[in-house]
Amino acid sequence: MADVRTEEKDLVIIGGGVAGYVAAIKAGQEGLKVTCIEKRGSLGGTCLNVGCIPSKSLLENSRIYHQINHDVKNRGIDVGDVKLNLPQMMKAKETSVSGLTKGIEFLFKKNGVEYIKGAGRFEDQNTVAVDLNDGGSTAVRGKNILIATGSEVTPFPGLEIDETKVVSSNGAIALKEVPKKMLVIGGGIIGLEMGSVWSRLGAEVTIVEFLGAIGGPGMDAEVAKNIQKTLGKQGMKFMLNTKVMSGDPSGQGVKLEVEAAKGGKAQTLEADVVLVAIGRRPYTQGLGLDKIGLETDSKGRIVIDSEYRTKIPHIRVIGDCTFGPMLAHKAEEEGVAAVEYLTKNYGHVNYNAIPAVMYTHPEVAWVGQNEQELKEQGVKYKVGTFPFTANSRAKTNLDTDGMVKFLADAETDRILGVHIVGPNAGEMIAEGTLALEYGASTEDVGRTSHAHPTLSEAFKEAAMATYSKAIHF
Amino acid sequence: MATVVNTAKLSARLATRYAPRHSARRRLHISSRQRAAQNYTMPALSPTMTEGNIAAWRVKEGDSYTAGDVILEIETDKATMDVEAQDDGKLFKITQQDGAKGVKVGARIAVMAEEGDDLSSMEMPSEATSEAASSAPPSPPKEEKKPASDRKTSSPVPEKEAESTGGSSEISTGVSEPSHMTKPYAESPPSSTASSSAKKRNYTFPLFPAVQQLLHEHGVSASDTAKIPTTGPNGRLLKGDVLAYFGQISKDYPSALSDRITKLEHLDTRHTMAAKPTQPAQAAAAAPEMQVPVETEIAVPISLSAVIATQKRVNDTLGIFLPLSTFIARASELANESLPARKRVSPTADELFDSVLGLDKISSPKLSRGNFSPQITGIDTMPPMPARKAKKADIIDLLTKKGVRSQVGVGRREVAAALGVSAGDNVFSVLARGGEEERGRRYLERLKMALEREPGRLVL
Repeated sequence: MADVRTEEKDLVIIGGGVAGYVAAIKAGQEGLKVTCIEKRGSLGGTCLNVGCIPSKSLLENSRIYHQINHDVKNRGIDVGDVKLNLPQMMKAKETSVSGLTKGIEFLFKKNGVEYIKGAGRFEDQNTVAVDLNDGGSTAVRGKNILIATGSEVTPFPGLEIDETKVVSSNGAIALKEVPKKMLVIGGGIIGLEMGSVWSRLGAEVTIVEFLGAIGGPGMDAEVAKNIQKTLGKQGMKFMLNTKVMSGDPSGQGVKLEVEAAKGGKAQTLEADVVLVAIGRRPYTQGLGLDKIGLETDSKGRIVIDSEYRTKIPHIRVIGDCTFGPMLAHKAEEEGVAAVEYLTKNYGHVNYNAIPAVMYTHPEVAWVGQNEQELKEQGVKYKVGTFPFTANSRAKTNLDTDGMVKFLADAETDRILGVHIVGPNAGEMIAEGTLALEYGASTEDVGRTSHAHPTLSEAFKEAAMATYSKAIHF
Repeated sequence: MATVVNTAKLSARLATRYAPRHSARRRLHISSRQRAAQNYTMPALSPTMTEGNIAAWRVKEGDSYTAGDVILEIETDKATMDVEAQDDGKLFKITQQDGAKGVKVGARIAVMAEEGDDLSSMEMPSEATSEAASSAPPSPPKEEKKPASDRKTSSPVPEKEAESTGGSSEISTGVSEPSHMTKPYAESPPSSTASSSAKKRNYTFPLFPAVQQLLHEHGVSASDTAKIPTTGPNGRLLKGDVLAYFGQISKDYPSALSDRITKLEHLDTRHTMAAKPTQPAQAAAAAPEMQVPVETEIAVPISLSAVIATQKRVNDTLGIFLPLSTFIARASELANESLPARKRVSPTADELFDSVLGLDKISSPKLSRGNFSPQITGIDTMPPMPARKAKKADIIDLLTKKGVRSQVGVGRREVAAALGVSAGDNVFSVLARGGEEERGRRYLERLKMALEREPGRLVL
């Protein structure tokens, strides 16, 4: 083993993704001596490097391309020859990514965080050995250790991901050319976002989903139907209740054998590119958990208590590699909370008020519980909806797909969930999250002034529709 | 601070509502100068503080002060703290001098006036809150909080109003933070009080718009507002709390709802450890779609002859008579232990996902305790009955989501109870809800085993 650095840190963080880097900065701000170990070579983890950020770049730019091709004529703009320059679009994406990852490195310096580029693994309960990216190795000792190693793409059994023909989300943001036909296994958020990108750029995209609805388990069923209809109009195809049995990438393209999920007729689908987007799983490989006797559960999540402590109390775990939804902002909250548990004995995260957003167009966003969950729990609730077709701003923007939906307790009117499908839903959900955090009722939202003419008026009107009646519908 | 302004406004509005009743008094007290005098009470510097000592007044009677000036020092059991003025004003009269000990929170310690008030012609307000001080929390000094226009409307009812506004910021538990106090508190309080500052802020948030609306609609005075129990995050008063207070919804409902939501707020760290591979779970095999839990009756003939023989033996040798029901109850208890998990009508998304990934093959089958109890029919010659569906659900059942029970079954059981059990074969049956057939069958098998093979072990 290489030299152990003599200085013992207050906190050693393994992983420089969203959970890890936020915790590192927070710890620096709190005056702790902190080291962050990251092997990717750039900070920000999956989110910044191959996830949220690059996909948003592609989503925005592909939407503009699509709009110029299909929409601006109605608005009185005649455009000449429109051509896609995919390498330039990818370069724009890379510029955004590198700008942001460099920004974190700057924040590390600013807050006195030591950054080690390499792969960390447990030597003992207080020592993390690091195989440096530049060769050689070192080891750091920490009074406290934070595991924030994140997650990786869940592979599809029997279909090897080569990132050219069979791609994960990592490959889907870096295709060299627009495929003619694309199959997406999994109709969750990642599948629908990446499907949208390539569909807008000209690919014929088919989503193959095992369940009976798109959007994953958190999305409200009514909202899922609504967005499916809209995406269908945009040209995406859906095969729900369909199980992929096997795949064969040996030929020119890729062949998928599918059949109805409840058993039924089989059929073969063909495409140039298959995107495997069936989810993500915790990533703790090479970390040496067994060396210090830490356990994972059947899903690979490291077992923790409510304060993120493992059974070794000075080792905590946050983000995707443990429990809870795999969302960057959830990891971020935990990063701050975990450090505050160290320095202030308490950190606040409200797991009932963590929004989820899908950045298709229109966007889908929700927070709190959905209708299926309330039904399942036997909660009596009221529903109030307001369509964007009745919203003045949406009308002037010629962008009226979607609606706002409130779910409130039938007795007390307390907001239980907010579900939005519509333009700018991702920004609008912040208000719903705040309402939930404060325990507000729909009447509280309905009696709060919202600027005119804005999309957010639809939010207010949906709240009014829940406890009383909407004015404009 | 917005809070206090807010509550002050609220009380001002309430005052307007009640103003006509006091019109006679309005004529008597016409000078706005006189009305500006307000009681200044002992502030609660921490949630636990009940009384304090006046260390020293830093402003003299007749002196003016501006916002941020230290008015006095207060000594508590924990520390001595400066109390700053939040707004400009004038100290009219000190009623508790330097060194006063054990002044109750909420008791008057001084009278304050507005900048520019003519102190010589000013009347002392009555000590409205002092008698309530021992039981009720203090009234926040409000003279500096109210915009002039508001004061005009509230002024016609000086004393009464002082009482009712007094309660507006103290919600439920009798700990209140007078408006002046937030500053010293928030800045650098001694550590003992710092820890409780978050809790303290509970009582100084603005009321939600829907809450304000309801309170006004019902003409609730601000002091009554303070009595409404709260269930919101950090003790916030929610619309549901007010509805419950008015009896429009059940009194207990808001707290039940709050408990349910609080559970959702915590990270769900329940987990199933990876276990050694056993039989595959049936999650993947999608059960037939069944909206209503239909109950199936499963019946098995069990001979009680072994039990009766044992009963006799025990009676003969030990002289203790054990009723048959004891045997059956113990056998039932045994048979209920770790039954296979109920086959759910529709598997959860997690289960489906696990089955897609093949993870269901490595987790252990879920076992859980059953809660079956057998129905016994004492007909010797009854042939073993095949499992049969109970009465089909009709539309009302579907709408009300009620489970369907077999009417016939119920009738027959009543007969059975009347007949008692026979010494030979009895038909033991259970009603299994949808997806629980396997559990029921397994339960009856075990029951049969326990009662027919070695009934003696059940009681010895």
